[in-house]
This record gives sequence, C-alpha cells and structure tokens, in this order.
Amino acid sequence: MRLSFILQVAKKEIVSTLRDRRAIVSSLLIPLLILPFVMLGLPLLLGGLFQREQSNVTEIAVTGLEYLPPELKTELEAQNISFSETSNLEALVRDGEYQVALSIPEGFNDKLESGEKVSLTLISKTGNLRSELNASKIGEAVSKFSQAIVTQRLSAAGLSAEILEPIGVETLDASSDAERSSGQLAWLIPFFIAMWTLTGGQVTALDATAGEKERGTLESLLVSPVRRVEVVVGKFLSTLTFGLSASVMAILGYLLGGALLRSIFLKQLDEGAEEVVQILGGSLQTTPLSIILLLLSALLLASLISALLISITMFARTYKEAQSYVAPLSFVMIIPAIGLQFSDFFGTNIIVYLVPILNALVLMDDIVKGQVAFLPLLATWASLIGFSVLFLDFAFRNFRREGVIFRT
Amino acid sequence: MITASKLSKSFAEVKALSELSFQVNSGEVYGLLGPNGAGKTTTLRILATLIEASSGTASVNGFDIKKDAEEVRKSIGVVNGGMGLYDRLTGKEVLYYFASFYGMSKAATDKRIKELDDLLDLGDTLSRRTTGFSTGMKQKIVIARAVLHDPPVIFFDEATSGLDIMARRAVMNFVKAYPSQSRAVIYSTHVMSEVEELCDRVGIIYKGKLIAEDKVEALIEQSGERNLENAFFKLIERSGSEMHT
Ligand SMILES: Nc1ncnc2c1ncn2[C@@H]1O[C@H](COP(=O)(O)OP(=O)(O)OP(=O)(O)O)[C@@H](O)[C@H]1O
Ligand SMILES: [Mg+2]
Repeated sequence: MRLSFILQVAKKEIVSTLRDRRAIVSSLLIPLLILPFVMLGLPLLLGGLFQREQSNVTEIAVTGLEYLPPELKTELEAQNISFSETSNLEALVRDGEYQVALSIPEGFNDKLESGEKVSLTLISKTGNLRSELNASKIGEAVSKFSQAIVTQRLSAAGLSAEILEPIGVETLDASSDAERSSGQLAWLIPFFIAMWTLTGGQVTALDATAGEKERGTLESLLVSPVRRVEVVVGKFLSTLTFGLSASVMAILGYLLGGALLRSIFLKQLDEGAEEVVQILGGSLQTTPLSIILLLLSALLLASLISALLISITMFARTYKEAQSYVAPLSFVMIIPAIGLQFSDFFGTNIIVYLVPILNALVLMDDIVKGQVAFLPLLATWASLIGFSVLFLDFAFRNFRREGVIFRT
Repeated sequence: MITASKLSKSFAEVKALSELSFQVNSGEVYGLLGPNGAGKTTTLRILATLIEASSGTASVNGFDIKKDAEEVRKSIGVVNGGMGLYDRLTGKEVLYYFASFYGMSKAATDKRIKELDDLLDLGDTLSRRTTGFSTGMKQKIVIARAVLHDPPVIFFDEATSGLDIMARRAVMNFVKAYPSQSRAVIYSTHVMSEVEELCDRVGIIYKGKLIAEDKVEALIEQSGERNLENAFFKLIERSGSEMHT
C-alpha cells in the first residue's frame, strides 16, 4: 500500500463531496442546526402552552354550584377557573366543549360541615393533555381544601396533623453531577452521533462505489497503476471523514443548543425552567477528557460504519440500488439506541461492550454521564477496531472479484 | 509487443473465449473485429488485467499479465465507448488525478496536457466541470486520460460508439495520427469502415475464437468478395458451419 496513492483517492472523493451542495447541507449543516432547533423549539412551544394554560381563565362546566363551599370556590377562582352551570357534563367534556367538568352533589357543603363523608365528581379526558392539566389544577385545589379541613378537625380534637404521617420518607439523589445534568435525553447524544455518522458517510460512500460504476469511471481507475487495496482504503478514509464530520457537527449542535437554552430560557421561564433545560440535556457537563474520549469513540464508530457502508454499497451497480441497500442500516442504529434507554439493566455486563455499534452507543452514554470505566472503554475500542478491519477486509476481497466489479 | 496465447475465459455457463491466440507488433494497429458477444471486450479486459483468464497466458510490453500486472497497467492506456468522467471535477482535474497514479510531476503533467490539447483540441473541456459535457467532449478527455502517461500500448474498445460523425472523425484522426513505430494499438469494433481505414492487420473473432487474421486486403481477397463486410459475413458463415460439424 502506498500512502500517497491512498491519499489521492481520498482527496478526490472529498473534493467531489464538498462540491455537492446538497450533500453539504444534509450532512454538515442540518446536523449542526437540528438539535438547537429541537432543544429551543420544544420548551418554547411546551413552556408557552403550559404557561398560557396556567394563566388563562378556564371555564369549566358544573352542576350544583350552589352546594360548593365558598372557601373552595375562592380557591378555584384564584387558580383562574370560572364556572358555567349546565347539565349533561360527561357528554360536554367528551365532545370537547369543555376541558373539564365538576359535578357537586346536592347538599355537599352542609354534609361536609356536619362531618359526613362526601365526594365530588371530576370529569376529564385522560390522554388529552389540556384536559388533564386543568383537572389536576382542580384536584390540587380540592385536596388543599380538604387538607385544611383535616387539620382544622384534628386541632379541634386537640391532635396534631403529624399523626397522619407517622413515618416520613426522605429521598436522596446519589447520581453524580455529570449524571444529573446529562438529563433524561442524554441517550440521544450517542444516537445522534450514530445516525449522523451514517448519514454523512453515506453520501461519500455511495458516490465513491456505486456512483463510480454508474458513471463508468471505475474501469479507467482500475486499469491505472493504483492498486485495488489503495482504492478501497482511500474511499474508506473519505467516507470516514464525512461520517465523522457529520457527527461532530451534531455534537456541536447539541452543545450549541444547550448553551442557547441556558442563556435564553433560564431567564425567561421561571419555575420549572431549570428542570426543562436539564431534561433536554442543556446543562450537560463536559470536561476536556470526556470530550476527547467521546470524539475518539465517535471516530472509531465512524470507522466501523464507513467500512460497513463501503463493503455494502460496493455491490450495487447504481446509486439507487446502493441507496436501497443502506436504507436498512438506519434500523441497525435504532435498535441499539432503543436498548440504550434500558442500559441501566445491562450496563455492567462486559459482553455488551463487545457488540459492535451497541457498545459504542452504551460507552458514549457512559462518557456523557461521567461514569465510564477502563475495561468497557478498552473492550469497546478493541471491538470497533477489530470489526472495522474485518469489514474493510471483506470490502477489499470483494473489490477484487470480477463478479462484483463487472456485475451485469 | 502484445502476445496472447490460448486465452480462455468462462463466465459461469458462458464460454466467452476459447484458446484465443494472436500477436501485435510494435508500430501496428491491430483490429479486433467481431459481432456482439464475440469476446472482444473480454479479451481486452484480460489483457488490461481487469479480469483473469481461466487459462492461457499473455504478455503486454514484455510483462506477463499475471505476474507483472502492475507493470502491464503502467504500459497501457484504455479507451472504452461507455467510459465516463467524474462530473464534479473539471477536465483538467480528472487528468491530474490520473497523472498522480503514474507518478507524473505537476510540471510534466502540465506539459503533457498542453501537447494533448494541441492533438485533441480539448479547448474549454479542461477548465469546465464535466457535467453537461457532450459525449464527444467527454470522449476527448477520456482519450487524453488514457494516453496521459504516453503508454506504449493502447486499447480502444468501441471507442466511437454513441459519437456523432464529427466526434467519431476526431477519434479516428487521433488513432491515425498517434501511433508510431514504438507503439502498439488494439482497435476493437464491429464497424467495418473503421477497421478498413485504421488497421494494419485484423483478427476476426467469433464466439470466442479467432477465425481469421490478416491484412484487410488479404482477407477480402481470401474470401473472394468485394469488400470487408462481405468477407466478414462469409468467414463467419464458414466458421459457423465448421463449428456445427
Ligand atoms: N461479467 C460477465 N458475466 C457473464 N457473462 C459475461 C460477462 N462479460 C461478458 N460475458 C459474456 O461473454 C461473452 C463475450 O462478451 P464480450 O463482452 O467480450 O463480447 P464483445 O465482443 O465485446 O461484444 P459487444 O460487441 O457486444 O461489445 C458474451 O456472451 C457475454 O454475454
Ligand atoms: Mg464489447
């Protein structure tokens, strides 16, 4: 193998891809922008809606309003709820005319005062977010009111409210700062890295293999003194370059989104904003070491995906045919990503770190959460390198076969 | 300069070549004439080390196609009818790319491109991206690319297919003008007039076998016909009936 020839092949593929404007947009620009867009858009949309729903005056349907205790009525009105007396509540809620309805039985207030057990009927639509939000608002107001009555009755009997809760349970979060701040959506980072590596690498791989056959340039390349192994390695390197670039763009997009989220929304949204930002991974903690480990792992994952792409697309005669071959690869990425959400259940088993792709995703998840250990790291990297070499060798063998090069 | 001896090639159940032998001397343009599926492309691909013969041997420019495949590839230039170009590169960039594999320096490449520009009238195909090139413009760059390193052996395989009269003429003029005492050319086609005009000697190939080989005039004379086309049919008919018996 001659390095200069390999680099010539790689350089030509890189130049070709860079001149393909659509490829640049889809494999470099979109990964950079999509995450900030999603991360900013979601809280903006949801936060805005929630806030509006909280602050808007909501009219609810009621029967028996005259039996409602005045204190409870005041409490509900303080929550921006107004009342519309009507009947046939269930149908009204079902048809969406009202989000929620409240049925107050006859003599409710009198019975309550005489200490009888009473109950209200709250009608909502489960599965409808707005309806549930309003129902929970009412539920809270009622339970607050009910709590007040309990306290009142206990103190009248000379007892403290504490007797109702003889055993208190305090919870303590043992997760590290990195874990806590990585948020519930941290598994998205490895997933995005894998998906964008595939998307970015694909553009070059298709062009460099099937594209070369479709254009009728492969034969002229193969009758020149460049060796087939140099051609394969050169094409692999260019695929790797774009796969890795796309995934780095996605990581940058993630960090950018997090930074914007913190700087813009922490100021605007008050309560709960911190939590939203954290859930979306906006307060991800990165150390130089974790970034280096993440990049190295992304590089090795990209090399595996590139070798896989080259060895598959090589069989295709046309661009279209090659596209249909690589389409199922997205599923290959999605399955381990789904598994990743349950990583807590198998995270300690070393075998997981030997399964290609899955291992990279789990390891990157570990890195993001700041809980990476030496052995899993070693196992993952060794496995990724091993499988890359294996696929590359497979590609090279096939590239020498007449049936693959001159498939008719 | 080119020697093929008993080349045979089978693709699964198809026997594409059977014991094909011929020689091309330096200074010669050798025509490989045969109907569709005769085995012309297969022969040239074997000689160009793209595919391996099932049996038999061959040498090109003194190098064995099996043992010295890389030396063979350094010695040849190949022009096919269906060859394409990289559409996001300019004509010049395509030539630079290939020059790098022949170890040509930038200065040597520039000098050579200038020579080829004079010879082939490459014009603005050098500076334009090859997307949107006409078939004729494309073929000029394909030829320039094939002879960039000044190879002693050149293979043309249906090099004029798909070209209009003008472009075809340009290719043929090149084949006429370019060869010299130190070069050998194999010109494969099924167009009789091209063979008559260009080739010093012709090998007629049919069903993977060489059924006749001589100078054009000698082949016509031998068959007792008036022109190469009639001679071709007669020779094929004769060999067809021989194959059956
Ligand atoms: N890759 C391949 N796989 C299977 N069969 C092949 C392959 N290449 C060629 N053949 C068969 O070998 C025989 C010779 O083909 P070849 O292409 O050499 O003919 P040709 O003389 O170049 O014909 P044409 O004038 O059509 O180009 C044909 O029967 C063809 O079908
Ligand atoms: Mg042919």
